[in-house]
Amino acid sequence: MTDAQAGTDVLRAHAENAYAEELSALAAVDDRPRPPSWRLSPWAVTTYILGGTLPNGIQVTPKYLGSERLVEIAVASLATDRALLLLGVPGTAKTWLGEHLAAAVSGSSTLVVQGTAGTPEEALRYGWNYARLLADGPSRAAMVPGPVMRAMETGSLVRVEELTRIPSDVQDSLITILSEKTLPIPELNEEVQARKGFNIIATANNRDKGVNDLSSALRRRFNTVVLPLPDSIDQEVEIVTTRVRSLGTALELPADLAALSEVRRVVTVMRELRAGVTQDQRTTLKSPSATLSTAEAISVMTNGLSLAAHFGDGTVRAQDVAASLVGAVVKDPVQDRVIWQEYLETVVRNRPEWKDLYRACRDLESSN
Amino acid sequence: MTDVHVLGIRHHGPGSAHSVAEALASLRPDLVLVEGPPELDGVIPLLSDPEMVPPVAGLIYAAEEPRIASFYPMAAFSAEWVAIRWALSTGTLVRAIDLPAAHTFALHMAPEPPAPSSSEDDGGPSAEDGEPPAPPQQPYRPDAIGMLAGAAGYSDAERWWEDAIEHRNTDPVDRFAALTEAIAEIRAADDRPGDHPDVVENNRREAAMRRLIRAAMREGHARIAVVCGAYHAPALVPIGFPPVSADNKVLAGLPKTKVAVTWVPWTSNRLSLRSGYGAGVTAPGWYQHLFAHWMARDSATDVSTTWLVRVARALRRENLDASTASVVEASRMANALAAVRGRPSPGLTELDDAAQAVLCDGSPLPLALVHRELTVGLELGNVPETAPTVPLAADLAATQRRLRWKPGAMEEVLTLDLRKPGQLARSVLLHRLALLGVHWGEQNETGRTTGTFKEVWTLHWQPELAVAVVEASRYGTTVESAAATCVSERAQGAGSLTELSELLASCLLADLPDGIGGVVTVLAERTALQQDVAPLLETIAPLARTCRYGNVRGVDVTGVRKILDTTVVRACVGLPTASAGLDDESADAMRHAVDSAQQGLSLLPDLPLEDWHRALAAVAGSDRIHGSVAGRATRLLLDAGLVDANDVAARLSRRLSIATPAREAAAWLDGLLSGDATLLVYDRRLLQIVDDWVAGVDDEIFDDVLPLLRRTFSAFSRPERREIGEQLSRIGEDWQTDSGTTLDLAAAGPAIRTMARYLGWEATA
Repeated sequence: MTDAQAGTDVLRAHAENAYAEELSALAAVDDRPRPPSWRLSPWAVTTYILGGTLPNGIQVTPKYLGSERLVEIAVASLATDRALLLLGVPGTAKTWLGEHLAAAVSGSSTLVVQGTAGTPEEALRYGWNYARLLADGPSRAAMVPGPVMRAMETGSLVRVEELTRIPSDVQDSLITILSEKTLPIPELNEEVQARKGFNIIATANNRDKGVNDLSSALRRRFNTVVLPLPDSIDQEVEIVTTRVRSLGTALELPADLAALSEVRRVVTVMRELRAGVTQDQRTTLKSPSATLSTAEAISVMTNGLSLAAHFGDGTVRAQDVAASLVGAVVKDPVQDRVIWQEYLETVVRNRPEWKDLYRACRDLESSN
Repeated sequence: MTDVHVLGIRHHGPGSAHSVAEALASLRPDLVLVEGPPELDGVIPLLSDPEMVPPVAGLIYAAEEPRIASFYPMAAFSAEWVAIRWALSTGTLVRAIDLPAAHTFALHMAPEPPAPSSSEDDGGPSAEDGEPPAPPQQPYRPDAIGMLAGAAGYSDAERWWEDAIEHRNTDPVDRFAALTEAIAEIRAADDRPGDHPDVVENNRREAAMRRLIRAAMREGHARIAVVCGAYHAPALVPIGFPPVSADNKVLAGLPKTKVAVTWVPWTSNRLSLRSGYGAGVTAPGWYQHLFAHWMARDSATDVSTTWLVRVARALRRENLDASTASVVEASRMANALAAVRGRPSPGLTELDDAAQAVLCDGSPLPLALVHRELTVGLELGNVPETAPTVPLAADLAATQRRLRWKPGAMEEVLTLDLRKPGQLARSVLLHRLALLGVHWGEQNETGRTTGTFKEVWTLHWQPELAVAVVEASRYGTTVESAAATCVSERAQGAGSLTELSELLASCLLADLPDGIGGVVTVLAERTALQQDVAPLLETIAPLARTCRYGNVRGVDVTGVRKILDTTVVRACVGLPTASAGLDDESADAMRHAVDSAQQGLSLLPDLPLEDWHRALAAVAGSDRIHGSVAGRATRLLLDAGLVDANDVAARLSRRLSIATPAREAAAWLDGLLSGDATLLVYDRRLLQIVDDWVAGVDDEIFDDVLPLLRRTFSAFSRPERREIGEQLSRIGEDWQTDSGTTLDLAAAGPAIRTMARYLGWEATA
């Protein structure tokens, strides 16, 4: 029970600890064939992610609210021993899905490499304990294996976060690992051969600029699954509301956390511009260059919340969100501005109940 | 004793087609009965014609009213096609069995209870009583095999057929017997009431099929094979036949109408629509692939791998990377995916998902590119010349008779006065035919008249036009409906806004209110996505014309009006930005666009112009915008009375000042002045400024600007130029001499009154 105790006082528990009961319940009923080293069968992994009721009546909570098809493709990719690349704009639960897949398949989500512009090759391969290296010379004992190497040795899943932020030369060291499933150690004239069950789940952001795109050699070793933004407006409103509320509590803002009034309008604007069509499907729109993901809706709302808290009466109104809304939409000062004005004039203006938002945005235009 | 074998199939199911081929080969029946209206019997032999290339469709239509028609499409992988071709090639008798279309059409044409005797016997009113008469385009054909496959957890009924039926190494005839039993269970679970319209229709059809089977049995054939939709199979097994009298009662007293029948070419794309057979086929290309694979009986190749190879090749043709190694990975991925989903073998869904994840980097776009070519397919069928006439040709002939207008083989010139209804109808017909690619008449210049009521055509009917009519028949059964469908399809494929505007205009000429709907939808989408402002501006005029004159012709233009309103707003928002930083050539184009938009806007007096004028003001007021456009905007504002002459004089003076490069100044002047010369003739201040500027320009630069200026002034008429010259000669004189001339109002009175009457004003004085 040490795990469970550890789970109570840490800020955020690992997936395999937080959902330990569901995982063991699934393992108990799971009689389908399991790929080598897998803790659960592909069916059980899919059920763990998507939720459902087990034959013995135990409820499994859904971890990922979205397309069942995508989760099946992701699980099938891991089962073919092809690496999995989860693509998507920020805020589409890439990391969340990766963590739960690793927890369900390998029973541990702790083997992870965080990709940054400064990620060195050692993080993907191995480093050295220099004291030992100087004292005894190169040996296995002087080596400090990285998460990937440890995953190869144990036959488990390793996660690489933000793969495209890692410099290209470092990225390419994954090619040998993925195609030949070995990690050569030239210093010792040895190699580590991956055990069955080893695989990589990488995540990458497909909207960021200034990233290192994968070389085609590396790219074709991944099965790619693109995670979409939330399907329905209600789902997205719920995500935004929950996140903003928890952020507001954390920042201790004296504002109306109970009734977040502007969320639905902000989410509607974002969704309409993103989709290039209005909610009623009657008017086609141009899409701006900005991502306009759920994450941005959250930031617009948080901004409005703090404006309302510090300069208003604590209730979020149209003028509180207008400025950051325009800022989120208009990233390119020429093209995006035209798109935004078109949206304002053809859509916002024609919605009588949106009059205050239209006025607030027009006021911003004229003051600029 | 006659031996009757019922082969229940899935319409357009390649698995069914393959099994039927095997079953027929082993049964060797001496009569083949295929589900389909018996009227088809007359044209069935045409299927053996070498010029008959699938996909084709049997077309049955009501002779009086070609609008009421049914299509029976057949592809190479349709069981019906396979069965008929087998019978024709072996010299076996083949017939179609179903409720005759003569009854089906008549039932749908008559709104009252169709068969009084039968509905009395049912003891209750028929459910079809209140049903509106709809054209029977889609006979109800439940996909029983799809239901069985769905129950077994398959997404793809054909893969279920392969696994559950084909892979059993039993006699093909036994397979069908087992299937018939399974379907009987499905039918037993059907809890729809007996008077449900679908049930009533189904009962009637099965009774008709049984009647024809009984007749065939009486003829003394040794073995009969019945190829029918699987759903009907249990009802067509002779052992289970209800008494003859029961069937006769169902079929008694059905109304009848005259029908005609023929073959028309079909396309894969149309197979994928829900037309003809109730069960539409979503992926004809995939079925074709499966069928070819099964017929080749090549166990060495794997159907999913060969499919993925074709996907990869199609991707490469689109210049996308798809290596052989990736195909191998995709194939493994598809199998793993099928395992995760608990399916014994991958279906099209799994193959698509695998191709998307492995070959297309997770993006659905490349797959959409190959979808049309592979999954749907690009096949176009062909029909031999000996096939009977199509309804479109019949409708054309009927229309020509109605207009008392016989096509002549000689070329003749025809002048139509559109104010006379008879001649207007002829013009409409010619415009519609032109849209359909049947170029019977060529429209000529009307000569020296600006009236819109006269059209001159050169008519020449050539034999090839008959072929064009047959080709166009795939769009519809009447000239009007075909032209409307054709316009909608062309609108879908149109490349530019101009093309769409032209289509819209031709819809007006051809009087196609239905076609306008299709064009408007596409236009709405395109205008919204259009990034360039100039094309947007150029669509305003045709749209405005449609609104103005569509009303006159009684077309509903509210949709067009809505697009016009948004287009104006979009164009206005974009105009100032789009006008910045233009070179001479694009500035010219932009000026034309602005002019054409202005022309369009002036057609509709009730259009709110504030946005437009605001945009023009922004253009006119900016010094960074090319002179040609800015000058034009200033002129339009002046004409609209939004800028007064003093202001224009100030702007002209500023634009023509020394600091402005002479070429830019000339361009601005051109924009301001072109059109008509009244501005210069009546405002001497402006003339003075222009004169000063021309005089002050450096000699070298003057050589540069001269051509531009010449172009501006040469557009004026000779009297205008003379007037300008006269004004110039008096420019140094005192202003007062001009206005000192007294007007003799009494002398001018009658002329002014007459003028006022023309303008519709009240002449009071």
